[in-house]
Amino acid sequence: MAHQRGAAAVDAVKEPHSVSLKVLRLSRPSLSIQHPLPLPTPIPSPSDSPTVFPSPSASLAYPGAQNDAFILSPLLTLPPAFGSAYVGETFSCTLCANNEMLPGANMPKNISNVRIEAEMKIPSSAVPVPLGLSPNTPESKTDTEEDQKHHDGVDLEPGRSLQKVVNFDLKEEGSHVLAVTVTYTETTPTSGKVRTFRKLYQFVCKGCMVVRTKTGVLPSSPNDGSKNTSRKWALEAQLENCGEETITLDTVALETREGIRSQGVNWEIVAEGEEMERPVLMPGDVQQVCFLVEELLGPDGQGAEPVDGKVVFGILSIGWRGTMGNRGFLSTGSLGARVK
Amino acid sequence: MDPPTKEPKTTPQRHSRHGSSGRVDEISLAIFGNHAREMFKGTILTSFVAPIPRRPTRGPLDISDPAANPLSPTNLLHQSSSQILSPPTRYHTPRLPSPTPGSNLSTLSSVPSFKTAHSTLQSTQKDFSYLLRPEIYHPLALIDVPPPFRSPSVQPDPSTPIPELISAGHWRSAAIRAAQQLTAPTLSPSDHTAIFALIYTRLSCLTLCNQTPLAAQEVKCLEDLNSSYYRDDISGLPLVPWHLRVLAVRLQGMGYADARRGVMGYYDLAREARLTLTSLKKRLSEHNAKELETKGAIENEIIIWKERLHDLGIRVASALVEMEDLEGAARFLKTLRPSTSSDGALRLEAQKALLYLCLGDVDAARLCISPSGPTPGDPATGNEEERKKEQNIILALSHIADGNYDASAAIWEEFISSGAETAVYKQNLAVCHLYLGRMDDARTTLESLLTTPEGPNTFHALTFNLSTIYELCTERSRALKIGLAEKVAGILSKERTSGISGQGSEKVNGDFKL
Repeated sequence: MAHQRGAAAVDAVKEPHSVSLKVLRLSRPSLSIQHPLPLPTPIPSPSDSPTVFPSPSASLAYPGAQNDAFILSPLLTLPPAFGSAYVGETFSCTLCANNEMLPGANMPKNISNVRIEAEMKIPSSAVPVPLGLSPNTPESKTDTEEDQKHHDGVDLEPGRSLQKVVNFDLKEEGSHVLAVTVTYTETTPTSGKVRTFRKLYQFVCKGCMVVRTKTGVLPSSPNDGSKNTSRKWALEAQLENCGEETITLDTVALETREGIRSQGVNWEIVAEGEEMERPVLMPGDVQQVCFLVEELLGPDGQGAEPVDGKVVFGILSIGWRGTMGNRGFLSTGSLGARVK
Repeated sequence: MDPPTKEPKTTPQRHSRHGSSGRVDEISLAIFGNHAREMFKGTILTSFVAPIPRRPTRGPLDISDPAANPLSPTNLLHQSSSQILSPPTRYHTPRLPSPTPGSNLSTLSSVPSFKTAHSTLQSTQKDFSYLLRPEIYHPLALIDVPPPFRSPSVQPDPSTPIPELISAGHWRSAAIRAAQQLTAPTLSPSDHTAIFALIYTRLSCLTLCNQTPLAAQEVKCLEDLNSSYYRDDISGLPLVPWHLRVLAVRLQGMGYADARRGVMGYYDLAREARLTLTSLKKRLSEHNAKELETKGAIENEIIIWKERLHDLGIRVASALVEMEDLEGAARFLKTLRPSTSSDGALRLEAQKALLYLCLGDVDAARLCISPSGPTPGDPATGNEEERKKEQNIILALSHIADGNYDASAAIWEEFISSGAETAVYKQNLAVCHLYLGRMDDARTTLESLLTTPEGPNTFHALTFNLSTIYELCTERSRALKIGLAEKVAGILSKERTSGISGQGSEKVNGDFKL
């Protein structure tokens, strides 16, 4: 986690907790890389050659990997570090509450009713957003919501863990705080008490996509016989990857409001026999997209009504995929053209 | 980091640049003074014979450690004067084209005219003592080795010969031994076969024991392996084995902190491979039917060079991935033709698919592996099955890219129940389980891979993933990670005594997140 604030023990008991909390950001797992050694072909047997060569599998990601000099293998590796968090992505994190009691300890404590709650503090709001936890505890499905709150805890044997996964759509730049509260019941042969602690994990969410737009008026075409003609514009947008990772643009669409229609003139249009190639944006790369926008004339021959001297087209929504398919999605505010 | 050496005397690169011009001769003449100039006036186009005393510092420029040449009329020359002289290359051996871009390499690989005309000439004894300087080879510290792997019981006997060390997977010890032998006074500076074999052992073993940065520094001493100094003067054949030249490309790119250099290095080698192929094919077509045996030999050579060329192509793509130019790598892979092996097309499709997954273009990845091969009804048996398997692997990975871990887990489970070679599937299933909130299952699956009856696994991604899970499931993860390291050390030590050479017995702290 980017930054962990000191654990704020809510309860006054100074005694160390019997349950620990561990977290791992679940970015997509990555493909293991390998650097296959160049070896002579065919590998001389030890009897023909004084030199002995390392076995081909020694430099592969796993023993049975294809020995074809390629760097990527289908073997998955868990995320090694927190990485960067970007607006538009879904933040996933796993939370583990672990019973840290050693089996056979001289003061046996029974840990029961362990519960994890999580919330996200976002820059724009003072009130944290409660987060849903998955997977659900199966036995509590039939309970009413109120009951669930009190009984969905899990009893943990020493050395066992309760694991939950949270997901959160990052929509704002700036400092986010994931706050996790663990509550459990600690029972010794002589007493029992409910204990709780809270841990805060802070990270910064950055922008990854900068969108700049521009509209230009196109010559309007006569509208079959009627005296009114529909107006046309070209909406251009520059999409800049200002993050630190390579991304592939998935979809760019102008979601038009009523009375407006648009047509993208981007990479979806391919000549026959050609394959569609999605634009890849390395850090700092800019992709230009363009849409032809036309107003639809109503039965009265009137076009879209300007609002505050502006014809509103709609919003631009942009979807992209990062490394290993990590999804990002962003939509702009209303876009339009000024009219005189 | 050592700066690249600047002395012209130890720079094969310079040699290649100037060796074919008159400048080397001029320099030698300047060094040897007027006396030499006088000598050369009368003795054009001859070779000098007498052995000269070896000088302490030598480099590629001192190309002409003269071999006795029975053909040469210069036997008549005065013994004392030729002792002073290091004769200029021009007069010594038939001129060879240097392998600069555009030069005709077909003459280098086949050289029929030279061979027939000068078949009795011996090749010069080149001096490679600049590769034997002790300061090139760094000591290997144990600091990065986890404690269980440091114990003397795991370390091999110091007298074990290199081949045994390599067969047992003792990369560290083999690398140390190779450096010792390279710097030992018993190694002749002209024994290029032994020198290059030892350098290959040293560099390859360093990369295998996670000391690639050291290898990248040490490889710099080789400098330009395409230089004509690294070729036999008479046959023009390279003295450095192909696998070492390929290995040196990536390492030198890293050593000079210039990944592009790596890509270019592969292109240089590819050019040479293409020219060799052209010349081999030409020889094959000129071949008359009588010499069936040599015809077979040439055909074999052609297969080897085709494989080499394809291997270089894949290495270029890998180098682009390593320098994080995934887009460039994808474009490059599109231009590559599949290798001629029976599953060549499928391999290339699978490689493209993995790359698209990395790029995040999941749809493109799924489309990479066509449902049927380019030649339906492929006679190669099992090819259809292989294709189905690759397709399912990519499908399962695509599900992960889509965040659909349940669907992915189902495919891995199907693979596991079907039997063969399950380590990769089990590992990937365990990863899915962790993302699904089933950490206990993930841990059990990964731990089972360490004790699987088909042969325990100890590969990096396994110990790394297991250590990550240990970090998640307790505050006292260090004890678990050390325990894992001990277990792995035990497995490797047992493998070694039973004579199985697996992936090697070297592990570093990073393998266990220690």
